[in-house]
Amino acid sequence: MPQTKILLVDDEVEFASALAERLELRSYDVKTANNALEALAVIHTHVPDVIILDLKIPGMDGIETLKTIKKIDPTIEVIMLTGHGDVQSVAEGMKSGVFEYIMKPVDIGELTVKIDNAMKKRTKEK
Amino acid sequence: MNYENEDNLRLLQLQFIGKILAGFTHEIKNYLAIIKESNGLIEDLMTLGKTAQNDSEQYLEITRSIEEHIEKTNTLFRYLNRFAHRMDSQLATFNLNETLEELIALVTRFANQKKIVIGKDFQEDIPSIYSNPSLVQFIAFSLLNEKIKNLDTNSTITIQTAAADNTVKIRIIPEGNFLEGNDDTPLISYKNLEKLIQQLGGNVLQEKGKETLITLGMHPQ
Amino acid sequence: MENLKKKISNLLRDVFHPHEIFRVLGKDRYASLKIRIVLLDIFLSMIPLFIVITISYFWFQKILKDDFYNQVNWEIQNTKQTIEFFIDKKISALRLTSSSYTYEQMSDTKLLNEIFKNFKREYGGLVDFGVIDSTGIQRSYSGPYNLAGKDYSKQDWFHEVIIRSFYVSDVFMGYRKIPHFAIAVKSEAAGKGTFWILRATINIETLQKYVNAVNQRPNDDIFIINREGILQTPSKFHGDVLEQYAAHITIPRQEVSVQEIKTQSDDCKICGFATIQHSPWILVTNIRSAPYAKIPSIFRNELFFITMMSILLGTIFTIIMANMVVNRIKLSDHEREEAIAQSEHAGKMASIGRLAAGVAHEINNPLAIINEKAGLMKDLLEVSGNLEHQKEKFLGLINGISDSVTRCRTITHRLLGFSRRMEISQDAIDINDAVQEIIGFLEKEILYRGIHLELHLQENLPKIITDKGQVQQVFLNIINNAMDALKENGDITVSTYTKDDQFVRVVIKDNGSGIPKENLKHIFEPFYSTKEKGKGTGLGLSISYGIMQKLGGAILVESEVNTGTTFIVEVPVNVREVRKGGL
Repeated sequence: MPQTKILLVDDEVEFASALAERLELRSYDVKTANNALEALAVIHTHVPDVIILDLKIPGMDGIETLKTIKKIDPTIEVIMLTGHGDVQSVAEGMKSGVFEYIMKPVDIGELTVKIDNAMKKRTKEK
Repeated sequence: MNYENEDNLRLLQLQFIGKILAGFTHEIKNYLAIIKESNGLIEDLMTLGKTAQNDSEQYLEITRSIEEHIEKTNTLFRYLNRFAHRMDSQLATFNLNETLEELIALVTRFANQKKIVIGKDFQEDIPSIYSNPSLVQFIAFSLLNEKIKNLDTNSTITIQTAAADNTVKIRIIPEGNFLEGNDDTPLISYKNLEKLIQQLGGNVLQEKGKETLITLGMHPQ
Repeated sequence: MENLKKKISNLLRDVFHPHEIFRVLGKDRYASLKIRIVLLDIFLSMIPLFIVITISYFWFQKILKDDFYNQVNWEIQNTKQTIEFFIDKKISALRLTSSSYTYEQMSDTKLLNEIFKNFKREYGGLVDFGVIDSTGIQRSYSGPYNLAGKDYSKQDWFHEVIIRSFYVSDVFMGYRKIPHFAIAVKSEAAGKGTFWILRATINIETLQKYVNAVNQRPNDDIFIINREGILQTPSKFHGDVLEQYAAHITIPRQEVSVQEIKTQSDDCKICGFATIQHSPWILVTNIRSAPYAKIPSIFRNELFFITMMSILLGTIFTIIMANMVVNRIKLSDHEREEAIAQSEHAGKMASIGRLAAGVAHEINNPLAIINEKAGLMKDLLEVSGNLEHQKEKFLGLINGISDSVTRCRTITHRLLGFSRRMEISQDAIDINDAVQEIIGFLEKEILYRGIHLELHLQENLPKIITDKGQVQQVFLNIINNAMDALKENGDITVSTYTKDDQFVRVVIKDNGSGIPKENLKHIFEPFYSTKEKGKGTGLGLSISYGIMQKLGGAILVESEVNTGTTFIVEVPVNVREVRKGGL
């Protein structure tokens, strides 16, 4: 089974690298980006299956980035990272096509389940 | 008409918040300290100790501890966030159970000092009420605080919520011995307490040493 | 005109505003306002009342006077007519008598006596009868005197009676010193071309009777005088018969006149004159009593009673109204203050909430980092028990965790600093530090405005047990005001020193526009602001004043227009000790 390609977008470098490493230990293919521009660049070169996107990133804000991603490739599933249940953004995200959201600090087990579900959905739609 | 009394009550409410924040900060710092220490321990073990097979277990134990305290910190911060947002406006629609829950979470530390357990007996499907959330917390806290101060160690306080007719009821039920001669003046005098609750369209029934029943209207007057 | 209107409206506003000037009897400003309203109202309502009373009084008096005059007039008229009638009656009787007999008959003394006796029987008061011939010689006489043959030809009355055909004489002293007067009638001798005169002497008893018939008041006098002013009937105050009455008599042009006369010797208030027809007499009445002058005491008492009752009722009513209205104002003011305090409180709570929520949000990231790194450590440990080659990595992770924990602590610590401000702390603080902290906040603004700030902070000030947050709020408020007074370029001096062993003073001085004397009394009042509408609530100094009072201190102020203002904040070193001392 091919590895699920993940793009992790978060401006906290340490967090992103540690999480990326953990996901790699779990056989995911992870790339990281620290802002919207970087993320979009990566998307063009290495199309990910699932994007884990932080709500608050510099450059375009999370929701805007999400919408742009969906425009580029609507089949890419997006899992949103949030702080303390920013209800409005969550609702807006859901409307704009977010697959799931997960709160920081992240429970790795919960995250992998969500990634797998997203992958399943993506393969179905492909 | 003298509004000094009202001024005083407002001050007390601010003091209550200060106390909660102080207690919270204290607890968080404890957790962070534990995390830091555990972290440091791993470092020490690595640099000084052996790296035998069984040591891996030791390390795992420590990391588990760290994760546990991260979770505790996180949970407490979520309660803080909820508590903080109660102050956004003096009138809002809110769920009483959730509101009391975060209050309990934030004062558990105080109760634990006397080994007093605060239990919840909430009506699950309690309807939302439209009232002053932070004030409700303040009132509940001052009643709770009084009981905590006057109960002997190893007691229990149960907080019960229920809805009936067009009201919600909060019962603060102490179980345990009351300390004699403990004349701690309550945070809010009974008269002022009554006034506050009446402002919210409710009333209070209290007997020294027994449960306190607060009845609140679904909508304030 | 606009200026005047403005002045008046300002004055009205000052009078009807519950503020610190116009304080009465040291009562609070609302009680003072009540007192002012009541006094003003009473005063203003008394004026019309008194005007009305005064006008009524004098008007009433005038009516009574006029009425009295009319009465006097009527009395005189009446008396005059009675006397005239009396005289005319006598004259007619004499005429009848003389026409009933011939001259020869009348010249017969015996017959004359008979006639006289009959006449006397009919008309009382007669003294004698006499018949006088055309030469003036008395032909016959019936009476007590011996007047037969008396010659009257040289006398005025004789000539007068010839001309006028009748004559009434002045009063003269007659038989037995009793005053008399005489009436004479001319009678034409039938067919002879001559005449003769019938004369009768009458005593004044009857005359007097008619004069005195007038209902007289005790101090009033009515009598008859002749053209020369000689009394014809006795007067109460002016002499007896045949004495001279007061020199000046103006013969009235009308038959009757009633005048008010003021003479020094006489207190005659009213003099009435009436000429009596067919006689040489003038009827005089001297009225001294002026009953109209003394408005009956009943009326006066009634008036007084009504006035007092009106004032009393008016006062009571005004007091009730003033009380209700000012209490309403007081309530309104307090409600407004309370509403603002409540609103401020809500704002405070909201900002605390935001801060705390902000902390909670911020903590997420570092916490997440710790979580991932610790999780990674766990993963690595689970994957391979051999840590030798991972040592470096682990140490890296450990450092990363440590840094993040520190970050968490810092973020969380903010809450502590914040929460401490919520309580009235009783910490020992250094006032100079507190002052400098505040100035730290304002430094940028001060520099920006080109204000020159000087600090003279006394060293080794005692530590003060008070609420740092609140005294700082006071300093902030006052320094802000000073900056506003300066606008741009000016000096602010902040000094601290010990006043005595109980108090420390913080003095904030500016050389700005200053506060006019009349405003100084107002500045600590709530809602008092000289800033334009929308700028400033006018609550700053009032709240500061309240804070200092609660903390056992005080705020003093001195100011001079265009020179500057000095605020002195007095902070007790230990508020507990100050209160014990009973300051």
